[in-house]
Amino acid sequence: MSILIDINTKMAVQGITGREASMIVSHTLAYGTKIFAGITPGKGGQHVQGVPVYDTVAEAVKEHDINASLIVVPPAFALDAVLEAIANGIKLIVVTTENIPQHDAVKLLHAARKEKVTIIGPNTVGLINPKDRIKMGSIGGDRPERCFVPGSVGVISRSGGMTAETSWMVKRAGYGVTTSIGIGGDSLIGSTIRDLLILFEKDDETEAVVTFSEPGTSFEEEAAKLLKEGGFTKPLISFVAGKFTESMPEGTVFGHAGAMISGNTGRPSLKMKALKESGARVIEQYDDIISVLQSELEAKVGEVK
Amino acid sequence: MGRMLEDVSKTILKECGIPVPGHSVISNSNEITDQHLSHPCVLKALVPVGKRGKAGAIKFANTVEEAKRKADEILEMTVRNFPVEKVLLEEKINIDEEWYVSITIDSQKQVPVIIATREGGIEVEDLVKDAPEKVVVFYIEPFTQLYPYQAKEIWSKLGVTGKPLVKAAAILCKLYDVFIKFDCYILEINPLVLSKDENVIAAASVMGVDDAALYRHPELEGKVESGSERSWRPLTELEKEMVKVNDADYRGTARYTEMDGGEIGFMCGGGGGSLLSFDALTNLGALPANYTETGGNPSEEKVKGLTKGILSKKGVKGLFVAHNITNNTQIDVMARGVVEALHELGINPKTFPIVVREAGVNDEEGKRIFLEAGITYFGEDLTIEEAAAEMVKKMKGVS
Repeated sequence: MSILIDINTKMAVQGITGREASMIVSHTLAYGTKIFAGITPGKGGQHVQGVPVYDTVAEAVKEHDINASLIVVPPAFALDAVLEAIANGIKLIVVTTENIPQHDAVKLLHAARKEKVTIIGPNTVGLINPKDRIKMGSIGGDRPERCFVPGSVGVISRSGGMTAETSWMVKRAGYGVTTSIGIGGDSLIGSTIRDLLILFEKDDETEAVVTFSEPGTSFEEEAAKLLKEGGFTKPLISFVAGKFTESMPEGTVFGHAGAMISGNTGRPSLKMKALKESGARVIEQYDDIISVLQSELEAKVGEVK
Repeated sequence: MGRMLEDVSKTILKECGIPVPGHSVISNSNEITDQHLSHPCVLKALVPVGKRGKAGAIKFANTVEEAKRKADEILEMTVRNFPVEKVLLEEKINIDEEWYVSITIDSQKQVPVIIATREGGIEVEDLVKDAPEKVVVFYIEPFTQLYPYQAKEIWSKLGVTGKPLVKAAAILCKLYDVFIKFDCYILEINPLVLSKDENVIAAASVMGVDDAALYRHPELEGKVESGSERSWRPLTELEKEMVKVNDADYRGTARYTEMDGGEIGFMCGGGGGSLLSFDALTNLGALPANYTETGGNPSEEKVKGLTKGILSKKGVKGLFVAHNITNNTQIDVMARGVVEALHELGINPKTFPIVVREAGVNDEEGKRIFLEAGITYFGEDLTIEEAAAEMVKKMKGVS
């Protein structure tokens, strides 16, 4: 099993004729993931690397029963692309676009919440399920096998690059992943660490989850709260990068509103404290992923089922 | 995220029908004349930082002489690392009450939020914790506007009534329109002044615009300093150079931040990969001379320019080149850029400590280029932390 994507995923790529998409499409097809349709207005009837292109998501859904969309469009078109996918009943949308204006992000996330649509991103490398060889996004590049092999660990990363590196650490420890997900580098994203932990909790094959975090946001604090409430009971191994940022001068204060809303969240040390107190295995050194994962999963093998 | 100076934001507010004090900008005290002092005036340092009052960079004057003297004082100041080059001169308002209102985006709830209180001023953030009953926090549904009745209710809950209520509600609706129209990430009025003659005036404004949205605001060209949200000082000369290197080519990114001192040139990449690499070095007691994030498949020219910049900083005695395993950044391109920079600067890797940890797209060719240049190269045989340890070991010979 895996979360979010599997053999039933029928993916379309919005913005398939663009420069960005062409590399993603060729790597995805080479990996063995099927892309059922592409959408670019005005390019209906064309083919991109064998994938039929439609003018509208509606046509693609009608022809191919699309249930997942990978959005690879420039920032100015991202909001409309997401709204189009939502309007056509698609329930999983991966938004790769970087630099989407915040006001647009707020709108697209609001629309998704209303229709109970899962958004990964924006600004994400995507997600991968190596057992079924299905990936959505640039994740894995030209050689997904290098970092992503099938196994029993879930990976969640705030950083796209570190999604690969962390999955590679899992491989180095002797294991593989059920699903690895780059959640996106922005503060306004669709699926947070907490949201994905809930899915990994339900997934029988996932025995442990490793997370890679960065300064900023309150995603780790929310995840810690979930653990405390008993919403995630499997081993969680967490690393928070960027501890050095706390000894650097802070950005100069510009207005009071930020502090009034978020208070003190965002500091790596506070994230680590919250996660530790909630029962997560918080590692100080990134390389400790290997030994801690081994000890956690070996302990599990010893359990009587 | 880009900040705006106060005179620019005030001009925008005024154009949008929000009352602001009459204002002008001077860069020399000689420019102050009787005209400016028809009323007592306020002098404010025109710098893109908050808490200027606390820093003593806001002063009052009743006469031209006094105003000139105080303008000179302010022009001598450096407010939180920002040297004052201009002073904002405003008419002083006859204040009855000082209120506070801000509009921003609550990133946890992912909707715009208005925060309002009648107790404006410098310690307003403590109010939310200490006296939440004095603060109204109001969330707005995306895709909609702020309706007049909602604005009215916000002030009414705070006990505002009569003429001031009508005026404050109208102003809040206009402020929300400005927030939406200009893609703000923050619009804060502190204080929003209730004057003795029952007028409501935006006496001080803070406005920040999402630089990702600047493409649809040609009217803001030159008015917003892009990427200034996190700065704690003006950019250094070298940082400005690196911005040029980055802007010269749309492919990939090259971000550069200078540290005080340090001896290891830090040429790392991937947002998370750079954070991890920097932590790894400092955990081992090493001192990186800069922080860098590169990635997104930069061109050879960009890699070369960034590397040269990193190595040109005084006191740099070594170079650490590391990356997470890349999804799209080409290692051979990285290698060519780094090697070319070393070549142009006449740096010999045999005597100058360099450790590379680069794996990912085209890394076989990358490895060949690094090794041929005599550089210590690691791919996925070492973790980032292990490579950082190698770097620190190598530095022992030179520091």
